[in-house]
Amino acid sequence: MILSVAVIAGILSGFLVARWKKEPWQPPALRHAWLVVVFFLPQLLAFYLPATRNLFSAPLAAASLVISQLGLLAFCILNWRLAGMPILAIGLLLNLAVILANGGLMPVSPDAVARLVSPEVLARLQVGERLGTSKDILLAPDAIIFPWLADRFAPPDWIPYRFAFSVGDILIGLGAFILLAFPAGKAASIKKGNLSYVNQPNF
Amino acid sequence: MKNTTAYFASVVSKIQKQHIQFVLLVLVVLMLVLGAGAPVDGGGIGH
Repeated sequence: MILSVAVIAGILSGFLVARWKKEPWQPPALRHAWLVVVFFLPQLLAFYLPATRNLFSAPLAAASLVISQLGLLAFCILNWRLAGMPILAIGLLLNLAVILANGGLMPVSPDAVARLVSPEVLARLQVGERLGTSKDILLAPDAIIFPWLADRFAPPDWIPYRFAFSVGDILIGLGAFILLAFPAGKAASIKKGNLSYVNQPNF
Repeated sequence: MKNTTAYFASVVSKIQKQHIQFVLLVLVVLMLVLGAGAPVDGGGIGH
């Protein structure tokens, strides 16, 4: 959920930039947005909806995650020319690479988890198991393939909300911010003598 | 009067369409970001 901060910040920045330029804010002209809705659905069921996420075994959750991210990657490629989208796509690709290399879930080491939970909770966790209903799996550091792409970073201590994130997550947040704050493309075009906006999302 | 009503209806329908498009855009980008990312927080661990 921490990544939603990048979306909110991007929209607010986009409005501020537009106001500074004395232009209306233009949303990015997303193409094939239905792909996002369709391919987010497996993750919605496997990780987010309380009514369904407990029904997913680790292998089924892993399959849902991989299929979903492949579809989302296709959407990113189809929208490659939008500002921020290449950064977001590379972030997604990095996450997908480490997820695929480690069996379908995002690896996280006990050291990283120790920064998120109490020692009592950490003692109850077993290496090799999915962490609750999250996308992460607890693995020993030397068992993680591409460890530098795993969830290994934590926010500064002065931030009370504790979470671990990956290099890919950073790029995804940055890409989403740029996508919304600095949407590319002409603000408007003149078609047949009428002023019409071209940056309308294509659903 | 009829023209005024038609103009008002046109303006209202345009505003509503833009609002709906904005909400849909935000939802799509949120789904994209949540689906692409994989951070983990302490809240969901150990439950």
